[in-house]
Amino acid sequence: MAMRHLITGQNNCDPDGASSSNPFGALANAVFGQSSKAQILYTLTYSESPFLILECDRGKVDVCRYEVRAAASRVDELDVLNKLSLTSTQLSYNYTLFIVQSIKELPGPAVGVPSTSDFSTAAPLSTVPGSENEFKQDQRPLARLLQGTDFIRGGPANDWVESFRPPTLPDFGRAESRFAEFEQIYNNAGTTFGPPLDGPPQRVLSGVLHSFLASGRAGVPFQPVPVPALGLSESEKQCIRDRSCIMARHILADQPEEYIQAQVNTLLHSLDIDNQMKGPMHGPYPEMEEYWKQSQSALRPAPMHNAAHNWVTEFGRQSNSPDDWAHSFEQQFGPNGWASGFEQHQSQMAMGQMGGANMANLAAMEQSRMLAQTLASNNDPKFQLSQGADKWASEFSSEHNQGGQSENWIDEFSKLNVTDEWAEEFSGGGFGESYADPWADEFQEQLSASRQSSGASRGVYVFSEMNPYVGHPNPMQEGQELFHKGLLSEAVLALEAEVLKNPDNTEGWRLLGVTHAENDDDQQAIAAMMRAQEADPRNLEVLLALGVSHTNELEQGEALRYLYRWLQNHPKYGALAPPQSTDTPYGPDVVRLFNEAAQMSPDDADVHIVLGVLYNLSREYDKAIAAFKTALQLKPQDYSLWNKLGATQANSVQSADAVLAYQQALDLKPNYVRAWANMGISYANQGLYEDSIRYYVRAVAMNPKADNAWQYLRISLSNASRADMIAACDSRNLDALQKEFPL
Amino acid sequence: MDSSSLKSAQLLEQMRLHLATDAGKELTKKVGLVYQLNIAPKKLGIDEEIYVVDLKKGEVTKGPYQGKPDATFSFTDNDFLGIATGKTNPQMAFIRGAIKIKGSISAAQKFTPDIFPKPAKL
Repeated sequence: MAMRHLITGQNNCDPDGASSSNPFGALANAVFGQSSKAQILYTLTYSESPFLILECDRGKVDVCRYEVRAAASRVDELDVLNKLSLTSTQLSYNYTLFIVQSIKELPGPAVGVPSTSDFSTAAPLSTVPGSENEFKQDQRPLARLLQGTDFIRGGPANDWVESFRPPTLPDFGRAESRFAEFEQIYNNAGTTFGPPLDGPPQRVLSGVLHSFLASGRAGVPFQPVPVPALGLSESEKQCIRDRSCIMARHILADQPEEYIQAQVNTLLHSLDIDNQMKGPMHGPYPEMEEYWKQSQSALRPAPMHNAAHNWVTEFGRQSNSPDDWAHSFEQQFGPNGWASGFEQHQSQMAMGQMGGANMANLAAMEQSRMLAQTLASNNDPKFQLSQGADKWASEFSSEHNQGGQSENWIDEFSKLNVTDEWAEEFSGGGFGESYADPWADEFQEQLSASRQSSGASRGVYVFSEMNPYVGHPNPMQEGQELFHKGLLSEAVLALEAEVLKNPDNTEGWRLLGVTHAENDDDQQAIAAMMRAQEADPRNLEVLLALGVSHTNELEQGEALRYLYRWLQNHPKYGALAPPQSTDTPYGPDVVRLFNEAAQMSPDDADVHIVLGVLYNLSREYDKAIAAFKTALQLKPQDYSLWNKLGATQANSVQSADAVLAYQQALDLKPNYVRAWANMGISYANQGLYEDSIRYYVRAVAMNPKADNAWQYLRISLSNASRADMIAACDSRNLDALQKEFPL
Repeated sequence: MDSSSLKSAQLLEQMRLHLATDAGKELTKKVGLVYQLNIAPKKLGIDEEIYVVDLKKGEVTKGPYQGKPDATFSFTDNDFLGIATGKTNPQMAFIRGAIKIKGSISAAQKFTPDIFPKPAKL
């Protein structure tokens, strides 16, 4: 009951795992060496069994502890073994620790020393800085673990209990000598070993196993050892077989598969165990799974059962006598022990098919899953995180192919599941944009943005908050002047002051709408234009502007309606339109009508403009370009016309031409924010992200409220691999951006 | 005039044109995956129009994919537009439940705003 005694009395975990009152932490320290910091990250309390995640800079270790009932000591150990050995190959030596120590049965403090030499493969305790006291303290829990019954053969509980009499610890000096002795033992390839081969079966067995380990460690092939009949029961053989498979894999991790197999076979052969390993390690504990499945079916319905069942079938291991084994286990440990221990795993087993994944992957997934659970219980935004993660997991696993891809999945999933890394990993790697912390803020932004956008799309104009022009005597005039000067944002403010004063000022609303459109804000433009239209339903310019803005917003139906009404309300062409006004004009009809109008008066630029817009809607870009060119011949100084031409060309993927048109527009109106943004778009669509960034920056410099442009800027930044400036983009840091990307 | 009334349809039309260009060919090289988009006008799952953005062959087609797409997305018209223009964070949308995703996660992660061409404004 090594575990239990380590556990009981330790109902809390210290945040600093290195304190002496927490033997697990001390153990971890010993395990990883003092040089690495062991921190206890989370402690979740499941129903009865506290669960502890230990993290140190060597990698994550799951140290599970369960309050053990009755004599189910082995449950803990097996579980810990599972976790430790399989969570990270770095920790293979831990596994060795347990295995070696438990089979060695060496009494007394001598045990303490060999254990340290195990660690010495990774972090020699003897060289580790630390006081003697610490060392001794480390020895204590180790020693407890070290002594004890051979876990392979069930031992009565009190063996474990007795093992916890704290041994008299060697002082450092003696430890060293033992260390040397043990080193020597290890260095010998296997057969020269302490316990003689004709000792009691347990000893023999432990000897053989130990020498197998030693040979593995020393990199020397294990020699077949003739042993007398050990009288291992079938279940024990299974156990040994499973264990040795795992161990071999860990110790000999860098060896080719065949070598591992051969070694294991040799070992098993020596022990006279049939090797039924079929190919790569499928899963070490099919009997356990069988048992687990049985217990699960008693405890819980379908999903877990299926998972376990899948395991069993997929891994395809034959258990010679699962029942026998199960029974013997039951006798020894009580039927509930294991079940309760594994209860915790049930929730993590809900992963569906595991495919051919080996246990390592599964454990890693479990771990990440558990982390996800932890996160879920931790924090609100993070709760959403892990919910999302669960969805990903279930969706993914339901579709996932078995076999080789599980590794990737695990990586992705565990990546996805770690707190802060989620955001960066997922967003940085995947969506090309960095949506790092804070989540909450971003969510708020989105909410407010959507609030605003929904307001505007319903035609509700959103006034600016701090308007210096409100008390102005003649804001209308001021607005017009500002507009002509090209100070669009200022003009907006002035005009807003005007319409606040005179809500029925059509021209005020109209100009406001136009200004917004030129500022690249179609939402506000529409809202303002709607107000203008309310004031004067027959204003042609308003109707045209509405048609254009709706086209930009991809609202075809609306756009058509307004353009049709333009026609209807036109003094000259109104006659062309059929008298009944229709709310859903049919596109081609409208086009036909406009063509007629154009024939009627070919010099009317406006008709051609509307035609151009209509052809944009129907995506007959060539005709649209022709129409705009015609209009431009009539009105060459109309900057917005140049922009329309450019936009049409851009949308018909003639981006190079589009740039020329935009340039013309900008020559005529340097502060034409929309044209700047369109330039950026054209470059971005051609894949010239670096250039596009400059134009976007210019656009947002002129109108910091141009949300579209900000978004596109961000996309371009990430495409151009300028993630460093994304933060500046997010914080709308114009200075930094302008400095970095001048035109 | 396209028969579809979805805004997304127009964007996808532009996408179709875009894929024929050099930049579009770059995309097929860079991404090389097939996405199926189930776009609903108002509410998820109702009256969905299905499009396939095939970034392997470089084409956009209407109707379900013959074969298995690398990832299938279900969202509303507005959400798709939001994603394509970078207005909506796909992650956030997914967590909110605004998008449903099926298929390979890694493929889904590559479904980003930068694969879509942006519409220029008249």
